[in-house]
Amino acid sequence: MTARDDVTVEARDLRREFKTKGAPAMALEGISFKVKRGEIFGVLGPNGAGKTTTIRILSTLLLPTSGSAAVMGFDVEREPEKVRHVINMASGAEKAGYDFISAKRNLWFFSQLYGIESREAEKRIDDLAERLGLTKYLDRKFYALSTGYRQRATIARAFINEPRVVFLDEPTIGLDVMTARSIREFLEDEARKKDRTIMLATHNMAEVDAICDRVAIIDRGKIIAEGTPDELKRSMGVPALVMEVTPPAKGFEFLGQVAGVRGFTSTSDEERGLSTVQVVVQDDAAARRAEEAMSGSGHRIVASWRKETTLEEVFVGLVGQGFKEREEQGDGS
Amino acid sequence: MEARPWLRTMKARALVRLWSIFGERLWIVVSMGFPVLTSLALSLLYYSIGATGYIGFAILGGVMVSFWGNVLWSMASQFNWDKQEGLFEIYLTSPGSLSAILIGMSIGGIIGTVPSAIAVILIGWVLFHPVVAASWGAVALAFGLTLASLYSMGMTLSSLYLTYGREAESINNVLQDPVSMLSGIYFPSIGAGSPFPIALQAAASLIPLTIGMEALRGALFSAQSVASIWPELAVLAAMAVIFLFVSRAALDTLERMGRRDGTIAVRIR
Repeated sequence: MTARDDVTVEARDLRREFKTKGAPAMALEGISFKVKRGEIFGVLGPNGAGKTTTIRILSTLLLPTSGSAAVMGFDVEREPEKVRHVINMASGAEKAGYDFISAKRNLWFFSQLYGIESREAEKRIDDLAERLGLTKYLDRKFYALSTGYRQRATIARAFINEPRVVFLDEPTIGLDVMTARSIREFLEDEARKKDRTIMLATHNMAEVDAICDRVAIIDRGKIIAEGTPDELKRSMGVPALVMEVTPPAKGFEFLGQVAGVRGFTSTSDEERGLSTVQVVVQDDAAARRAEEAMSGSGHRIVASWRKETTLEEVFVGLVGQGFKEREEQGDGS
Repeated sequence: MEARPWLRTMKARALVRLWSIFGERLWIVVSMGFPVLTSLALSLLYYSIGATGYIGFAILGGVMVSFWGNVLWSMASQFNWDKQEGLFEIYLTSPGSLSAILIGMSIGGIIGTVPSAIAVILIGWVLFHPVVAASWGAVALAFGLTLASLYSMGMTLSSLYLTYGREAESINNVLQDPVSMLSGIYFPSIGAGSPFPIALQAAASLIPLTIGMEALRGALFSAQSVASIWPELAVLAAMAVIFLFVSRAALDTLERMGRRDGTIAVRIR
């Protein structure tokens, strides 16, 4: 197999514009990336960053305004039928099943869309159900399943045709910790043992950190960083500074003026009368300057410590704001 | 698409429809209620005014209104419902054919409606003993072609509903009764016995149910042979084929537009 064959998903200068009542909204502004066979590739970004648009273009639900993309060598715009034979997709927000029939019959129905022989389909359903802890619930009507088990069924559906590439959009959103973990374990298993490519769009940084081999951080339709989670975290240099300060406040904009501060994010806890401020700094000297600036602003630093860099700090370091602040600005796609 | 996957998709969708219908016993009873009661009420009315010759029309109307209701309420709105639930995205990202899904829905819908139709026939027969003078071959052909044209129309409506969403549902609500009356479910609405002016009769003739009812009444109560009702049969067959092609073309167009405009994947919430 050549290096070229090893690439299962490729996007080249992908752009997508949506018509709105006002000016057209640019959801994607020329993104390019390659995903390799057997890789779990995360697309990380705040809501409205362009993650879902990317997934929809790659899964043939949406055409790019310009640029191109290919899955397993098939062009998503010109050869959607060929792409559909080798992919599957699932979204955490979907309900995706017929309420009045059992989970098993739902899965069988979806297997038939791929022309899978019934006996083979049943074998796959049993296997997927066992690995996802769904076996006991297979005969329950779909409406009677809890959110967690419905999502397990949705994940089973996304793998029923043994796709070469699976697109998942926030697959663990709203799930309890245990369910989310078992789904993540299943996804890792599929990628490692079966060489499936999984593309995961999410704003859950811990999830990306836990299972993704590589990640593209996307903001306002542009990829702002790409690499392994470790590479991205190392690129931030020193650990972030965390300060608990009182009185609680909303704006700490003065921190942005401090030399060596790459960005910051804050949350307030009115009950405790504290704000927690995370500051991504270039070096230790910048951390000290940030503490001095905080003290000089009239806030009292109750506690401060340094924190191992996470992908959240990477985003803050790159954009200057956290996901929450970015979403509140609300001018993404 | 190859034939085998296409057939598997169709069969699976038909089974989903049947499992959904027969999985809820209460729903079977409820779905029988409207056609049985309407048919009985009209039969009773015809009986009380001495128009006993029309009782058979009322029972036949009850049978056909079950299928008509299934086309209007289940077939037409299904894809729109699927879109709202996120199922349509799954269809589109799979190699499964949308036409196979629609035809499967039709077949499942037809079989699922049979209990309601049988209930109307049995209850009407036991209570009113309508006089039947049938040419059974013609009845079978007229019935088959009527269902084919009705469900083909349902497939076209399904595509329209997908485009226009709830607006189409509202229009359906507004038009249901006038269309049911025009199509002559319970009395002849075109031809010699029609109470309507020619213009309305011409409009009514565009509805497959009107032509189907006319053919069925002729074959079932006047022993008209295939040779006598061939114009109606030909129109029904043509409608079935035309609607089938229109629905296919509409789905293709819709998918193309949806991918271009970003509307197909957006759930209505």
